[in-house]
Amino acid sequence: MATATAPIHATAHYHEEPTGVMSWLTTVDHKRIGVLYLYSALFFFLVGGLEALIIRMQLHGPNGTLVSAETYNQLFTMHGTTMIFLGVMPLSAAFFNFLIPLQIGARDVAFPRLNAFSYWVFILGGIFMNVSWLMAAAPDGGWFGYTPLTTRTYSPGLNIDFWAIGLQILGVSSLAAAFNFLTTIINMRAPGMNLMRMPMFTWMSFVVQFLLVLAFPVITIALVFLQFDRLFGTNFYTVSAGADPLLWQHLFWIFGHPEVYILILPAFGLVSEILPTFSRKPLFGYPVMVYSGILIGFLGFGVWAHHMFAVGMGPIPDTVFALTTMLIAIPTGVKIFNWIATMHGGALRFTTPMLFSIGLVALFTIGGISGIMHSSPPADLQQTDTYFIVAHFHYVLFGGSMMGIFGGIYFYFPKMFGRLMHEGLGKVHFWLMFIGMNLTFFPMHYAGLNGMPRRIYRYDADQGWDGFNAMSSWGSYLLAVGMLIFIFNFFRSRAAGRVSGNDPWGGSTLEWSIPSPPPDYNFAKLPTVTSRYPLWDVKSPELTSDIPHTREGDKDNRVKVAGSDTGANVHLSSTDRTHQPPEAPMHTETRLPSARALGIPMPLSTIKPLLVAIGIVIMFTGMLIRSHEISAMAAAAGQGSTMLSTIIIVAGVVMLVGSLYWWLLSPLEEHH
Amino acid sequence: MLRLRRPLMAALTVALALVLAACSQEQLPNTTFNPRTEFGRDIDDLWDKLLFWGTVVFVFVEAALIFVVVRYRRREGHPEPKHVHGNTTLEILWTVLPAVILVLIAVPTVRTIFRSQAEAPASAIQVNVVGHQWWWEFEYPQYGFKTANELYLPTGRTVSFHLRSQDVIHSFWIPQLGGKRDVITNRTNYLWFTPDSTMGSDVWNGFCAEYCGESHANMKFRAFTVSQEDFERWAAHQKSGPVITAPAAPPGAGTPVAGAPPAAAQNPAPAQPAPADGAAATVAVSSPTLSQSLFPRLPEYAIPKTPIPQGLDFQEGLTGDVERGRQLYARTPCVGCHVIQGVSASPIGPNLTHVGSRTTIAAGLYPNDAAHLARWIKNAPAMKPGAIMPPMGRGLRDPRTNAAGTLDDAQIADIVAYLLALK
Amino acid sequence: MTASAHAPAPAHVHYTTTGLDNRKIAIWAFIGSECMLFASLISTYLIYKGKSRVGPYPHEPWTNPLTGQTQAGILDIPITSASTFVLLMSSLAMVLALAAVQNKHIPKPTRGDRILGSSQLWLFTTALLGAIFLGFQAFEFTAFVNEGLTIKTNLFGSTFFTLTGFHGAHVTVGVIWLVTLLFIDRRRNLGPADALNVDLCALYWHFVDVVWIAIFTLIYLIE
Repeated sequence: MATATAPIHATAHYHEEPTGVMSWLTTVDHKRIGVLYLYSALFFFLVGGLEALIIRMQLHGPNGTLVSAETYNQLFTMHGTTMIFLGVMPLSAAFFNFLIPLQIGARDVAFPRLNAFSYWVFILGGIFMNVSWLMAAAPDGGWFGYTPLTTRTYSPGLNIDFWAIGLQILGVSSLAAAFNFLTTIINMRAPGMNLMRMPMFTWMSFVVQFLLVLAFPVITIALVFLQFDRLFGTNFYTVSAGADPLLWQHLFWIFGHPEVYILILPAFGLVSEILPTFSRKPLFGYPVMVYSGILIGFLGFGVWAHHMFAVGMGPIPDTVFALTTMLIAIPTGVKIFNWIATMHGGALRFTTPMLFSIGLVALFTIGGISGIMHSSPPADLQQTDTYFIVAHFHYVLFGGSMMGIFGGIYFYFPKMFGRLMHEGLGKVHFWLMFIGMNLTFFPMHYAGLNGMPRRIYRYDADQGWDGFNAMSSWGSYLLAVGMLIFIFNFFRSRAAGRVSGNDPWGGSTLEWSIPSPPPDYNFAKLPTVTSRYPLWDVKSPELTSDIPHTREGDKDNRVKVAGSDTGANVHLSSTDRTHQPPEAPMHTETRLPSARALGIPMPLSTIKPLLVAIGIVIMFTGMLIRSHEISAMAAAAGQGSTMLSTIIIVAGVVMLVGSLYWWLLSPLEEHH
Repeated sequence: MLRLRRPLMAALTVALALVLAACSQEQLPNTTFNPRTEFGRDIDDLWDKLLFWGTVVFVFVEAALIFVVVRYRRREGHPEPKHVHGNTTLEILWTVLPAVILVLIAVPTVRTIFRSQAEAPASAIQVNVVGHQWWWEFEYPQYGFKTANELYLPTGRTVSFHLRSQDVIHSFWIPQLGGKRDVITNRTNYLWFTPDSTMGSDVWNGFCAEYCGESHANMKFRAFTVSQEDFERWAAHQKSGPVITAPAAPPGAGTPVAGAPPAAAQNPAPAQPAPADGAAATVAVSSPTLSQSLFPRLPEYAIPKTPIPQGLDFQEGLTGDVERGRQLYARTPCVGCHVIQGVSASPIGPNLTHVGSRTTIAAGLYPNDAAHLARWIKNAPAMKPGAIMPPMGRGLRDPRTNAAGTLDDAQIADIVAYLLALK
Repeated sequence: MTASAHAPAPAHVHYTTTGLDNRKIAIWAFIGSECMLFASLISTYLIYKGKSRVGPYPHEPWTNPLTGQTQAGILDIPITSASTFVLLMSSLAMVLALAAVQNKHIPKPTRGDRILGSSQLWLFTTALLGAIFLGFQAFEFTAFVNEGLTIKTNLFGSTFFTLTGFHGAHVTVGVIWLVTLLFIDRRRNLGPADALNVDLCALYWHFVDVVWIAIFTLIYLIE
């Protein structure tokens, strides 16, 4: 194969590439923002991992005394919240940012400044939530924050305010990003890239953006109710006023279940890129993979109450939600089978990303099967709120999402940084992770079915749980070692890894046709796509010979500019099926022309999105302080003032509105 | 290296299976695999089907994966793969087959849902369960009494639980007797089952399964299954007023409050019965109490091993006096929260009418003996994080209200003697 | 036929797949999201309907424990019908404003044409009607508070004020948006090239209007 054979001696460099702190604070380049997301999310992932490690050390034996009940409750709350909102979601966002424009042949996302805004809101929200540790008021209501426990009556401290306000801030980020990517995918695809030619990662991301757009408003409202209850004395969750505590649970899980697919589908997408590449076969059943992804997303909105089988909804709701939940197993199963069929008959290369992808297929299957086990409400009554559930969703989210994301990091690291990660260390990382993960989470199935409830900071001796817990704890230590190796490998490869060139793996999609790392404008010429695997069309046309291609004159390739069809067809010939001539050595040169030299208009760097983000966080900080003032007033029998918080909220709003106007009234890019 | 993975997995599974096989009831006391009620058995039957089909799918998928991974690894000189990009027949097949399996699971599932959520039989014994942060209140309305943290259930008779919460959401769960049900504010939930009539006297661990705040882990309870006659005796006794047991020892000997916590395996029943003063309301014959006679020796899993937190000192060598304790009790803030029939009537905390006959205190957290009870009264929030009961020890401050306790150790010893005598 | 995707185009217009401007797609996505937001608010209102333990109630009579008087349900349908009418009319003005911007370049021979074609007039009218609607809402809120219904009183108060307050906040944002457009129009005369900017505002405004119709029907009209 002609992959990675060109003699390449350095990563790509560009003229006029800005450097320095300011360039990062003002960047609107989707690739740089993607890298920012990657670093930030990996940092939070380590924080969440450390929290998990302390949890496992506490539970290593019966009646552990490493941490107090209070600290433990904060640890498991923040572990869940961090891993979901500050770890896996932004890791996925790193790939959305970096990859979607490259995969669809675009020069940037639809709204580059909004994209920067999303990142800044996310990182400030993550910091906001973790500042709670420094104030000894880390959230302690569980990541699910069930009312009435989280109302002021039962949680008077700032803990829940940090959590609820932090999630609101992160919600702003997720929603802004989702509008952006939705628009990008709908509207920024290169000529010829019709929906059924989109790379599978982009497809799954597309579904995820719909889920985000539709699910986040629901949690927003649930959190607004909670904050109103806490700040203004409303009655949404006040049981003495007749409120139904289940309102929160319904709203939360209407968001919470699609959230599960928000976490897993990007990993499915990554694996669907990696498996075909290292099997040297097109993805088996591409259309079915697309439809199953859509179906999973769609059904994901109709299963939320399976988190609530123990609340006593009655037999009919239990039955309905059991059946919809079982239904969702079908498209998920189809994905598993299609991945195996993709590998079947291939020429499998067991690179690190491939190992992680196979790991996902193997481990997610276990998570899926245990999921079916509690889709059955009566069986769930013995499983819910036990360690069986902990085992289940860690097989889904660690064995699924994280395996896929690690595979994605190893796979796309060369595209991001121009260098390959070390394969040997990568494999050690994989095996430690694979073994550690099974050792940690498999025994939890047994602990749960043998009666161990979740979220307990200690357990008594002689309950039959000691062995399972010790095993889990040892497994988590292995995972920690694996993570250390990964971090070492990441930074070592970043500095001194083997130079990768454009296409180190023999990939099939557009991102592999451009230099590594790509220039700020991505594509010197916007590519024209004639099949699902544009790069294989060029490099190994025999791989895609059976797949439908565009012929000259097909309407997919008509060029539309600013809403009007120019009437022009993209020129196609047997030797020019993508923008790259077939024998082009895939950009082995290391100094590339700048966007300015090529006459490509690029968005201007700007600090304004960061300013708006800061305004938002100041405003929310004012609300946090308001909550503190209210508790102080309650303690001092009505004495006190809300002056400070009012000033801060107003200052935040002024900064938000002011910088927003400044942003919206300034042009995106220079006029030529 | 890759070939090692499967055997590893297999070894892990086998190892765990062996661990399980080696385990008796005593070693897995909270297992859901050994159900003792019809409700538990229904769930277990369903579980067997789920496990069977889950295993079939697991073996099939993982075997296919291993086969593909081993068979199609790239070899030098291997021809380029065939470029299959889909196969409609296959894809329909692996859509339909899982659907069939799901139907096989769904049918018994739905049947069990409706059977287990039907109305409880009219003859059932009703138990009103009220969840509190962090203890359980049990009321037997047909018998007209309340108790806390220890349930007695007659074998062979259906028990219908009416579940309510006083504060936040809890979840009522006795793993060996059946599935859990959430205990929710502003609504009543229902759960019923029939302990097997073939059982003798037995004790089961119960838990709060829904996160309910700081001491969620410390919100446990015990369920004792006894024969119907024993249950009736127990219920009649519970309904009666406080009974102060007569001492075997000479008057004035009192209940020594051990300075050190008892050995882990010690039976929680107090070592010596307390003395009774002539002024005591009722004096019972000094014989083993009902619970002692039914459960002369509790299994290890039902005896709490929670260590006493560091720094909870209690003066050595004190001997409590029941009568002094009785008088003291009526003058302390205890009466503001606890019911002792005929003595105090405020139902905020657990009912103490027969507290001396219970095996544990603080919702299954500590054995009910003088050493633990004394420390509990002296400083409950230190014994159980977040406990709402304020510290009674002199000078100790309530973390919630900052009010200071007033009792010295000798007074606490008297109250302990009194409470432990309430059989 | 050798044109490629890199066809020379004005620097500020970009190739798009659908031919629509990105902002148009985004506003639809945004509106989809807003639907879920209001669906959650409205559902909560409906779930808690009739669950309040103390009055005032929306439709049912209630006895004020302080005065001992029995009062009718608190919602004032005639007044709210008037404010609903005002908001509906604002949507009409919005349509005219957008049309005026789109047709700026067409000569306006008659006085009637000039009135219809005055984007400033119609933007102003829309904003004014929106502001009048907000005035109605302020009046309604004040009246309710005087009658003893606050956001803290009962479940009805909490859900009602939060739902209509959220809607009012959306109207406020819309009015600010309209006023901003009006200022730009006064400074540099919005023309067909700016039609999209007005179109986005119009979509948002109509959406807010439609949400009000849902709220008016479900909260005020249905007892």
